[in-house]
Amino acid sequence: MAADVHNKGVSWEIKNGNLAPSDRLRQDRSDSPTPGLVEGTEPGAGQEGAMFVHAQSFEDLTADSESNTDNKSAEVGDSNPENAQKAALEGGEEEVQEESLEAEQEEVGKEEVQSSNKAKEEDVTSETWRSHRKHVFVLSEAGKPIYTRYGTEEALSSIMGVMMLLMSFVEDKKNTIRSIHADGYRVVFLRKSPLILVGVFRTSCSDRELTRELHYVYYQIVSLLTLTQLNHVFQNRQSYDLRRLLAGSEHLTDSLLRLLDRDPGLLLSAVMCLPLASSARDVVSSSLQAAKAKNLVFSILLAGNRLVTLVRKKDQFLHHMDLHLLFNLVVSSSSFREGEGWTPICLPKFNPAGFFHAHISYLEPASDLCLILVSTDREDFFNLSDCKKRFLERLRRRSAYQSLQEALNMPSYPVSQVGIPELRHFVYKSKSSGLYTSPDLPAPYQEEEEHERLMGLYQHLHSCLHNPTRPLRYIYRCAETENLYALVTSGFELYLCFSPLGTKGLAVSAVNKLLKWIRKEEDRLFILSPLTY
Amino acid sequence: MTAMRVDAKVVMLGKESVGKTSLVERYVHRRFLVGPYQNTIGAAFVAKALNVGDKVVTLGIWDTAGSERYEAMSRIYYRGARAAIVCYDLTDSSSFKRARFWVKELQNCEEHCKIYLCGTKSDLIEADRSVRQVDFHDVQDFADEIGAQHFETSSKTGKNVDEVFQKVAEDFSSCALEFMQEEKGVDLGQKKDSYFDNCCHN
Repeated sequence: MAADVHNKGVSWEIKNGNLAPSDRLRQDRSDSPTPGLVEGTEPGAGQEGAMFVHAQSFEDLTADSESNTDNKSAEVGDSNPENAQKAALEGGEEEVQEESLEAEQEEVGKEEVQSSNKAKEEDVTSETWRSHRKHVFVLSEAGKPIYTRYGTEEALSSIMGVMMLLMSFVEDKKNTIRSIHADGYRVVFLRKSPLILVGVFRTSCSDRELTRELHYVYYQIVSLLTLTQLNHVFQNRQSYDLRRLLAGSEHLTDSLLRLLDRDPGLLLSAVMCLPLASSARDVVSSSLQAAKAKNLVFSILLAGNRLVTLVRKKDQFLHHMDLHLLFNLVVSSSSFREGEGWTPICLPKFNPAGFFHAHISYLEPASDLCLILVSTDREDFFNLSDCKKRFLERLRRRSAYQSLQEALNMPSYPVSQVGIPELRHFVYKSKSSGLYTSPDLPAPYQEEEEHERLMGLYQHLHSCLHNPTRPLRYIYRCAETENLYALVTSGFELYLCFSPLGTKGLAVSAVNKLLKWIRKEEDRLFILSPLTY
Repeated sequence: MTAMRVDAKVVMLGKESVGKTSLVERYVHRRFLVGPYQNTIGAAFVAKALNVGDKVVTLGIWDTAGSERYEAMSRIYYRGARAAIVCYDLTDSSSFKRARFWVKELQNCEEHCKIYLCGTKSDLIEADRSVRQVDFHDVQDFADEIGAQHFETSSKTGKNVDEVFQKVAEDFSSCALEFMQEEKGVDLGQKKDSYFDNCCHN
């Protein structure tokens, strides 16, 4: 890898008055000495504060489990005092595992759970099974299989037994196993009591990135059951087969893992908006704001995996990860097309202990516009159904529905609109608003494999920028098929992909031009004035 | 407060993957979707108006998820229901056990709810008799015992599907008629009384 890394003064941080906001924005945005650089004044920053829980990056996603965030993997026999301390905290769990292995043998076949007839009937001894790039396994602390991405859980109980054994062996020595690196594979372990998550990856990503993905899977499971219920179930019976409760939800986890490979939003802890003229978005937002109900907490309008608008109760913030879990629920279930959906859902970052109740429905049967109304009251279905009706009526009265539908049918925007030569693709995240924007994928990256490869490159840059011991401000990387440039400031994060003909000088000068363009387009690409009720 | 005028609340109950959603899909949208099985999340609500004689009855159908995860929630779906269509898969005996569970649940919690037992996937049986695991007469006996109606349906071919919902609507309609007549009489009398109460005694 030919990497070119700078840590000295950043050349593009010049005072450029041209980054000043357009006229319709408030004046104080241009008063800042370095507009676009300080958090809250960068292009895309919301005017009235954040819409989401403030999220820098995945640090806050993993913070609760990584009290000691050194990035080293604890090898077997490693007696790092920090690890020992952590293991000591988790001590007293060894006995559990001993009985568990017996319990497992006893219970095999007793409680057979009908695994759905998905494409899971893969032979776990076959070469294709081995060659998958990302395996994810979830097991209980008693070593009972709960989820596998490929193959059936039954067939893998012995492999999961080995994982359990590895984990408890290291814990026995008052230590914690984080990962094993061997033969191009990374095996990453994550203990989130009462669950254990193990990922087997064939990738060059850092352990932190991989642990982040396991966290997503963990929260996906919590969102279905709540942490309270999860703990309760295993307190009553260590050897409980959690698949009984999760039956039918495997496709949600499958789809989440696919999203993790493709959607930069999950990587950046940010959400993408549907590009929409600000006047149209304002009408949609205010219509949604007007359709309120007593127990309504969040009203979210989605177009596929893009956000049209979000209205929230005053002082209540949604975490971007909870929103991604909602996205995933909607895009991976056809169930909501059949009528109005009404389902309990836990938003684990908001509160892992309880359920919200979500009214989920498409605005029209064939439309991609999906409305999610989140309430605290489980009897609220008809109230929310009425909210939706009022919202639709208002939209139609102001003839905003048409423009919304049109925006939906258009592709996002081509990168050529920016007018930077050799630029193929970029991802820009405004830190204060938690929103990001990105053009359509150009030709070479439209194929699934190439798409995932590009995301993999971004992911690699991301882990370089956010390296806990040696964070970088920017990085330029020449690869065989593209040149990449990434930078992070207190206000934004930017990832650029150039053709191999691009040069470093070009990349550095492109940043300014791109920021100007985003500033000019920001009221179309971002939600600048989020509403509350 | 209620968004749409719904005359009768109908709830679909039964083990997962017996075909509750397919049954509703066939009845409401007149289609049968082939493709990988997709479980229902929580519950889905659809309103459907149909004619009974010269009257229009709107059924509010709650298609609930069969997964055990939602069992604790199921109460809110069947509370106040006028009819419950309890489904079981004709080719899966364990699904009938589950149907018995729901019947018991309804008998305990919702005594005014009429029960309709509905065996699904009858097209599979017609194709191959040996796959039947739930005997017709056993279910008929059970239905008689609990005072329920009994149907065997196929969402794929549409066999008996309309009949189930038509029967539900008819039963509701004839039942509602009785209710209404009674109430009318009582209502008028009551109003009069209260009117006099208010005027004369205060």
